[in-house]
Amino acid sequence: MDDVTPKDAPAARPAPAKSWRTRAQRAFPVVLLVVLCAIFGLLSDRFVTIGNLLIVMQQSAVLLVAAVAMTFVIVNGSIDLSVGSMIALSALAAASLSDTMGVWAILPAMGVGLLCGLVNGVLFAYGRVPSFIVTLGTLVIFRGVVLLFTRGAPVSISDADFLNLYAGRLGGVPNTVIIALIATAFGALIFNHTVFGREVRAIGGGERVAALSGIYVARVKLGVFTLCGLLCGVAGLLQSARTMAATSQLAQGLELDVIAAVVVGGTPLTGGIGRIRGTILGVLIIAILSNGMNMTGVDPYLQSIVKGLVLIFAVFLTIDRSKILIIK
Amino acid sequence: MQARGISKSFGGSQALADVSADVAPGEVVALVGENGAGKSTLLKVLAAVVRRDAGEVTIDARPYDPRSQREAEAAGVALVFQELNVNMALSIAENVMLGHLRDFRCFGILDGRALKAAAQAILDRIGAEFTVDDPVDSLDLGQIKTVEVARALALNPRYVFFDESTAFLNRDEAARLLDVIAELRRQGLGIAMVSHHLAELFAISDRMVVLKDGALVGAYDTDGMDEERLTELMVGRDMSGGMFPASRPTAVGDPAIEASGVTTRAMSGPLDLTLKRGEILGIGGLKGSGGEAIVAALAGQDPLSGGEIRLHGAPYRPRLPRDGWARGIATLPGDRTGEGVVTDFSVLENLTLATRPRRMGIVSDRRAMRQSADEQVASLGIRAQSVEMTTGDLSGGNMQKVVLGKCLAARPRVLLLNNPTRGVDVGARSEIYRVIRRLADDGMAVLMVTEDLHELIGLSDRVIVTRMGAISHRFAPGAELTEEEIVKWMM
Repeated sequence: MDDVTPKDAPAARPAPAKSWRTRAQRAFPVVLLVVLCAIFGLLSDRFVTIGNLLIVMQQSAVLLVAAVAMTFVIVNGSIDLSVGSMIALSALAAASLSDTMGVWAILPAMGVGLLCGLVNGVLFAYGRVPSFIVTLGTLVIFRGVVLLFTRGAPVSISDADFLNLYAGRLGGVPNTVIIALIATAFGALIFNHTVFGREVRAIGGGERVAALSGIYVARVKLGVFTLCGLLCGVAGLLQSARTMAATSQLAQGLELDVIAAVVVGGTPLTGGIGRIRGTILGVLIIAILSNGMNMTGVDPYLQSIVKGLVLIFAVFLTIDRSKILIIK
Repeated sequence: MQARGISKSFGGSQALADVSADVAPGEVVALVGENGAGKSTLLKVLAAVVRRDAGEVTIDARPYDPRSQREAEAAGVALVFQELNVNMALSIAENVMLGHLRDFRCFGILDGRALKAAAQAILDRIGAEFTVDDPVDSLDLGQIKTVEVARALALNPRYVFFDESTAFLNRDEAARLLDVIAELRRQGLGIAMVSHHLAELFAISDRMVVLKDGALVGAYDTDGMDEERLTELMVGRDMSGGMFPASRPTAVGDPAIEASGVTTRAMSGPLDLTLKRGEILGIGGLKGSGGEAIVAALAGQDPLSGGEIRLHGAPYRPRLPRDGWARGIATLPGDRTGEGVVTDFSVLENLTLATRPRRMGIVSDRRAMRQSADEQVASLGIRAQSVEMTTGDLSGGNMQKVVLGKCLAARPRVLLLNNPTRGVDVGARSEIYRVIRRLADDGMAVLMVTEDLHELIGLSDRVIVTRMGAISHRFAPGAELTEEEIVKWMM
């Protein structure tokens, strides 16, 4: 996975000098991750074990896929608050159809996610309603659809094929982790190596510049939200497999963790700049923070306070505010 | 007020170098010079909008070294900006007293009556023909400027500076503003002003301070100065011959763009215009008088509401800028950082922003990007440490070359330029002129909208002037062009 600024193939030219500050900012998520691991490792001897590592990865699989999706949206200069609800609705689709479709229930899950994303995208890109408002609305609407169908009762999954594939393990590694990594690689490929990925960043960095340079801005924005929905569909499938059921409370409030992971990974909310690699680190930071605090027996009521503090300080330390005139 | 040895540089470029100037109470000093000569920067340094790198300023022989605009105002120095800075959501009185609203608190609550009275007193002092009770949206541009002048006077300054304050005003509005300035002089204030309308400066100033490329040429009494000598001082003899490359009128060929009866929301009347291959068609006029609307219509930024355009003989009806690019029309927008380049992107990415080279339809082609960028860097002489450098860190001239390179990478047949050298230093400007001329000589159709008269006269093969949203005059190709003649059609 590459940086946003494409690396050049020929190595003849010296790399432009980066200030120590820029380097420190780029390295910050890694440093934070190492520090967290060191602290939890010292406090609990159960923390640094293969078993716990797998648990962390399993716990963060859904978050990872959703955060990759959100990276596209944020770098594009927008926001998607409906990811949690899209995941819940996709999970419901997967759970409801797992009996009849078995492993192929992944298709309705992704289809529902894609459709939800398409709705967000059309309203935002062509209806020109701010993405914050559109997705604030669909956050409630998609969740409402879930409630309407389930009437609050969980839909459990019993299909053996489905559970074998999506909740099983391959050589000890949970399949959810493998699927999440495939989805992440897919996202990174699009982000770093396609023209679409460049257009997403160009729009986030300067929408007017992008439009005047001949980029079809509305279509790219629609693509971003549709892609976000599609990936949330995958995340919904993973979530349903992990809990072996779809519930109406599934992934409720997840959007905040997702945004936190993206931002802690070094992607500013202003758009234009961002890295999938950073988002992966951000997800690990959020997941390890939760896991580590559980392992070391931190008061659950204190945990959310710590998480909030980490988010604020991560942004405080990493974003270069000297160039931004107005902070909103 | 005495300024001695003022220097200021932005990034790598020296905006002011060892400049000295005086302003006395009761006089109007005009700062004159070409674009980029450092006039505005000098005013901004004196009003502490930007910090000077070196030099000393004294007021009444006491050191004056404000660290912020507020401190400058407290020391009796105020600046009226070029842009219109009135908040339409506030009342006139609030706008006048913006920044000092806290002085009108009565037990923590804003005392509206005192505020209005104080604001009205200032308006009366400068003879404004409107009152604080008028709604803000009833004001014309000249009156809005008057509100800003009143705001500058709120702290009772002894020195007021005007930075291109008449730039957005029509002739009547400008005349009224000049009356206000004359009144302030009569009241004993020291005034320094920048304006690109030389006639205004001759009418009102007592002395003229001439700047060129950030250095002081000299200070002269306005009496005994004439426009010819002033221009000579401003431009400097050495530039007059070499700035603009000679045109080759034989290169002009078939029409590239033929617009007939074209209307858009931004135009006040239908547009008829022909742009031929191999020519540089210059469009002059005040800001907002119609040139930009022509570019916006041809580039696909503003949808056409009527008329038709033919491109190389075939119908052309763009809906989005991408339609223009797809048909070989490249557009260089007027606002470099807001419209031309993504400042966070590398030079490489900006140079390929319009072409976006690809393989298999979707994969970004790094090698082709690199090749295309290197080609533009070499042919335009873009001075960057490397193409990986962040574009926002380049100087204005180099950044403009990146915008031009972005256009040329698309290998267009028609090039639309909106103020191609705005805010570009003299060296880069002449390089850009040479590139544009070379393109035209090679058969490109070039349309250039510009507010810079020297550029309009020096580079164009043919000149059109716009006024109030429509074409007011078309000069014949090869006609003898003078600034006076062009300005006459602008006003």
